[in-house]
Amino acid sequence: MSQSHNRGLIEDFGRWREFRAGMWAWIFHKFTGWVLVGYLFTHIAVLSTAIPASGQEAAVLQAGDDVYTQTIVTLEELLLVRILEVGLLAVAVFHILNGTRLLFIDLGVGLESQDKSFYASLILTGLITVASVPTFLAGAF
Amino acid sequence: MAERYSSFTPGGTMWLLQRITAAFLIVVLAFHFFLLHFVNHADEVSFIVSQARMETLSYYSLMILFLLTATFHGVNGVYNALINQGLTGRKKQAVKATLIVASVVLIVQGVRTANAWAGGVPL
Repeated sequence: MSQSHNRGLIEDFGRWREFRAGMWAWIFHKFTGWVLVGYLFTHIAVLSTAIPASGQEAAVLQAGDDVYTQTIVTLEELLLVRILEVGLLAVAVFHILNGTRLLFIDLGVGLESQDKSFYASLILTGLITVASVPTFLAGAF
Repeated sequence: MAERYSSFTPGGTMWLLQRITAAFLIVVLAFHFFLLHFVNHADEVSFIVSQARMETLSYYSLMILFLLTATFHGVNGVYNALINQGLTGRKKQAVKATLIVASVVLIVQGVRTANAWAGGVPL
């Protein structure tokens, strides 16, 4: 027979010391989701410079002097942007790996090893992020 | 029996759409990152190169689908996260309306940007 009990507010972050792997997975998934959706809006705003650029002369576009190319090049020259891109990769990789894990759990696969798959997601995210640092920082110095 | 922790309606369409878009985004987001950071480096981006990619119908349509699914998945995720935090009543309706407007603006601007590169739908 099922029994209902007062579990308190699971979203009460003041109880973070009581959180176990599943709750941390939930928090990290929410946090990375917020970052990604925030980035999506920023990304489209920056890419929108392609709209005025499309009206510029062919020679300007060919030379890379258009507003879109110059915006991206200027941003990529900033070390802070490169570091933020590494952070974005870490956030995206974790969201992808943990999201894959969640889809499997929804399908009933891996229910017994949810903690292990969360730790695996974290470790793999760390490894992929560290391995991609040289690519992201290339030419930044 | 464990209680349900999800804010989604059991068996609801939004729950299913969030999962379907997730499965699509796992592949496309990974592809997007790989193509634009590892195959082509971000500091080598130019209007001409982006234009060449976007003039291909397959790439253009993939990016439009990417925009639509990412917007839905992201905004629906935010909406459900806020419901988790206890959003109800009039505030819930106001947030819902704001998120819908923000989504429409994002999609319109994204499509305009894609069309600026492609010179319209590349048929």
